[in-house]
Amino acid sequence: MRILVVDDSTTMRRIISNSLRAVGYEDIVEAGDGQQALETLEGVSMMLTDWNMPNMDGLTLVKTVRANPALAGMPIIMVTSEGARDEVMEALAAGVNDYIVKPFTKDVLAEKVKGMLK
Amino acid sequence: MDAKYINPFVVAMVNSLETMLNITPERGTPYLKREGQTQGDISAIIGFAGASVTGSVALSLPTPVALKFYSLMMGEKVYRITNDVQDTVGELANIIAGGAKTELSKEGITFNISIPTVVVGPGHTISHRNDVPVMVIPFEIGKHRFVLEVTMKLE
Ligand SMILES: [Mg+2]
Repeated sequence: MRILVVDDSTTMRRIISNSLRAVGYEDIVEAGDGQQALETLEGVSMMLTDWNMPNMDGLTLVKTVRANPALAGMPIIMVTSEGARDEVMEALAAGVNDYIVKPFTKDVLAEKVKGMLK
Repeated sequence: MDAKYINPFVVAMVNSLETMLNITPERGTPYLKREGQTQGDISAIIGFAGASVTGSVALSLPTPVALKFYSLMMGEKVYRITNDVQDTVGELANIIAGGAKTELSKEGITFNISIPTVVVGPGHTISHRNDVPVMVIPFEIGKHRFVLEVTMKLE
């Protein structure tokens, strides 16, 4: 069960990865932007992605992933400081399965991931 | 800058620190920035732009506050401004800007926010994107003061 964590903030990636490890997910890979994420997708079962990142943002990443029929069913959670209604709707329309607004608590993140992988 | 546009930034700051760091800062009274006034030792600046608004927000911290925020967020102590501390301050600014954006969108003010730029060094000045007055929103944690600087220009 490999999980890909995408965020341009290295410390935010570490927070997310550590909270996943704390609830038993050991196989975690990381990427710093959408472009890197596309190159890191092999073997990945689930993705958590930020929205605002350089090179390729999270929304473009989600659209690109969903355009690939082989990846159409992969669970994706967006984890972002973008909490406005229009942005949430746009992300859901692009194909994210769940949405976590920063700031978040670690237990909320862990619960959402567990719920999605059930 | 209308006071009703200040509050979303205050709310976002308090909410971000309470949720991510488990601390509640004291808030002071906002005031207009004097020209050339310097703030903290490390600042993260985020620009925003939309159909009817441009602006920027900066989170500026003295070194002890930056180190405290890092240790609370990451659960490890650090004794100087490392790359990771810079990253954390940039990400906190991103979270605060996003929170303010969410609040302002309820007033019909919508915009996109930029990736944070982080500046380090005692006595640095912060450049904002507009030729409009800069509001300083002071906060305090322990004995230490830190600020948000905000400019907003509505078309
Ligand atoms: Mg980001």
